[in-house]
Amino acid sequence: MAASRQPHSSASRTAPPQKAADTFDTLYRNHVDVMYRYANRLCGETEAAKDLVQETFLNAYRGFKNFRGDAQFSTWLYTIASRICLRMRRRRKGAPERELSLDEFIPTSDGEFRLQIPIEGLSPEAALHNKQLRKALDAAVGKLPKKYKMALVLRDMEGLSAKEAGAVMGLNERAVKSRLHRARLFVRRELSARGLAEDTASHRHEPIT
Amino acid sequence: MARRPISTRRRLPAAKSHRHEAGRCLHILRELSAFIDDELSHDICGEIRQHLGACPRCEEFVVSLRQTVALCRKSPAPALSSIERAKMREQILTAAHMR
Repeated sequence: MAASRQPHSSASRTAPPQKAADTFDTLYRNHVDVMYRYANRLCGETEAAKDLVQETFLNAYRGFKNFRGDAQFSTWLYTIASRICLRMRRRRKGAPERELSLDEFIPTSDGEFRLQIPIEGLSPEAALHNKQLRKALDAAVGKLPKKYKMALVLRDMEGLSAKEAGAVMGLNERAVKSRLHRARLFVRRELSARGLAEDTASHRHEPIT
Repeated sequence: MARRPISTRRRLPAAKSHRHEAGRCLHILRELSAFIDDELSHDICGEIRQHLGACPRCEEFVVSLRQTVALCRKSPAPALSSIERAKMREQILTAAHMR
């Protein structure tokens, strides 16, 4: 984003006030709810999500002239939000991000193959009325290292295609799919009956060896 | 407390007929998201379906992975109230004009 390359001329010259305000209002009105939803899913809590949405639209407002019509507005906003999110979280926690290896999800016992998601024959909508399951899902997504979380949220929650998610994350489709698969395997394991029971009991997970 | 893996001895007939397929299971597990998302070729899909029909534990694995994805797709997220939406807009515009 080249927003910082804005020339130091008066505000009235760089952005005709009324036009910029109108454009911003349209952009904001049409996309703020989607961005807030995305931000909540990434951040896992509402205050951080609000900060992220504000920063996103502020960046969009300033960088509007850098927007190229070859992408959709929503993709552009997802991209801005994702970059800010990565920066915000990096500032907050110095811990390096964990890589998820496919091998750690390969079942080594029959029991691991047969982990069940505790929805007891209900539709996903009906199952999600169960608060405990909703919390377990949020917690599982929240525990994902952010680059995997982003792939899962963009693809399985926001409904972007692999190509669109790749454009947002600056990755090729193959890399998006690889991260998505690991993220799903992670959430499956966390959500399974074993995951729920362990979470309640001890807040830790036995590594699969 | 370490849990012992479920003994395969009790399921001898299935385990025996399945043992030579173990590598196949692992190979298929790597492809399951692509399978669920319908991204594989017709031939590979057919092979996987055939394997799933013969391998109950892989079949169960796919069911649980599909359910995981379905829950993600339907998971609710909080929405902004109209007051919050308006307040945030003001804050953004104020910040934009300050800097």
